[in-house]
Amino acid sequence: MDYFFFIDFLQSLTDGLLFGTTYALIGIGFTLIFGVMRKLNLAYGAAALAGTYIGLAAFLSFDAPPTLVFLLSALGSGVIGILVYYCCFRFTPADYPMASLLASVGMLLFIEEVVIHASHGMPFPYPSVFRDATIELGDIWIRGDLLFVFGICVVAMAVLFWLLYRTPLGLATRAVSQQPRAAALCGIDPTRVNLLTFGITGILGGIAGAMTAAAVGVLSPIIAMGLTVKGLIAVVIGGLGSIPGAIIGGLLVGAAENIFLLLRGVTERDIYVMLLLFLFLVLRPGGLFGSTAGRD
Amino acid sequence: MLALDNLSKHFGGVRAVDAVDLTFREGEIFGLIGPNGSGKSTTVNLITGLYTPTTGTVMLDGHDLTQMAQHERTAMGVARTFQNIRLFGNLSVAQNLWVAQNGRTQRREHFMSRWFKAGGEHGPEIEDLLRFSRLHTKRDLPASALSFGEMRRLEMARALASNPRIVLLDEPAAGASLEDGQLLAERIRDIRERGVTVLLIEHMMELVMGISDRIAVLNFGRKIAEGTPAEVQANRDVRAAYLGSKHEDEELIHA
Repeated sequence: MDYFFFIDFLQSLTDGLLFGTTYALIGIGFTLIFGVMRKLNLAYGAAALAGTYIGLAAFLSFDAPPTLVFLLSALGSGVIGILVYYCCFRFTPADYPMASLLASVGMLLFIEEVVIHASHGMPFPYPSVFRDATIELGDIWIRGDLLFVFGICVVAMAVLFWLLYRTPLGLATRAVSQQPRAAALCGIDPTRVNLLTFGITGILGGIAGAMTAAAVGVLSPIIAMGLTVKGLIAVVIGGLGSIPGAIIGGLLVGAAENIFLLLRGVTERDIYVMLLLFLFLVLRPGGLFGSTAGRD
Repeated sequence: MLALDNLSKHFGGVRAVDAVDLTFREGEIFGLIGPNGSGKSTTVNLITGLYTPTTGTVMLDGHDLTQMAQHERTAMGVARTFQNIRLFGNLSVAQNLWVAQNGRTQRREHFMSRWFKAGGEHGPEIEDLLRFSRLHTKRDLPASALSFGEMRRLEMARALASNPRIVLLDEPAAGASLEDGQLLAERIRDIRERGVTVLLIEHMMELVMGISDRIAVLNFGRKIAEGTPAEVQANRDVRAAYLGSKHEDEELIHA
């Protein structure tokens, strides 16, 4: 194999894996909500985008520093996540998933329209950090901004793991997702756990949205569809309901996307990512870590 | 303490529970028996809040539970175990207890200390329950790794972890051998020693007759008898329900 091609390949793979952590975060969000409610929230990517725009608004109106922009993006998305819960999930029938699914599709379109309307459909510059820094590992360059994106996403995952595995809140969340009936009889209010899950996954989504925009340096409404579709693919590959699956799936989507970009160019890239999805759906529909065992 | 008044649950035309009145007294072991499909499980589900009754009320010490959600009833002091075990399989033994203990305390504590305080699975109350269920050597194993009997013991301990006033045991002897039944009887008495009223739903007649202070019999959703074990055993309707009317009476008495 041609040495330069080999280096290009490794470079694409590295960039893809670093950026794939944003897809992993979105995938975790889909998976967590599905875990506690057994329902898909298709408005999740759009809510993440809307939150990111809240951060952008602060950036544009009073030139907020990047840290504050990122923070507002994450928190804004958390608040919107809770609104989505109240609009699409809280009052729809619990045993009829189609109702909340369609409500969340409506919400996805609604949020997108609002964002496009407010931003006139124009892309805006979004703050990005360590843009000019690079770490050179031989012939492979690690971009500073991507490394930052990767670092923030990994920290977000670490905090999530601490929440889920070390705190009563996480324990309650896991209890509800394993045995909803027994959890209610242990005194856990399922509504409250659902609400907190939507808030926390909203924050994760906002971090993913902010980091996506930070990696590109630009925020545009198209990002919503990208986050939604790539996040869902990550979850299908990893297995819906599995957090490690969502992480592996996200990294895989990120890597595949960049490698196909190198091999086939930007116009064909997504076709091959969809083919990957197709292959998983045919050959391993449950995903890599898929399992719904141990539940009613 | 716990009183069911004119309690009914109809599923379409089926009267699963039909105008049942029952009163459980503080500190007693109350046996609820009846043939399959007689409405025992439906009654339990009405008490714990899975179903809303068609008619009637569930009162606990003067508080009306009838319209409360399941987790609110748990906070009021109603706990249960399940006939088909429902543990949190991926959580450790100690964490299963901690979840129930935490669910009970969540109303009293501040938000941050309630949801973000780590390490609660080592509290003294949890150690006590681990000893009670003889699972202290397995405290860090996932609940799904336990044997069947251990799972039953853990479920019982989990019900106690929510600090209930009354605990509903739904067929705790199902799948157990006769010797296990002896140990089970001791454990149920232990629960009563802790000041918790016990409602025992069970098929194993020897167990129910041996430890219950009072017994009620359901058949086709209706209460057909209530009284001490001896009174219930002597009741004609009960024999008819269990054995068929022309059957000899010996079996129930000696079973």
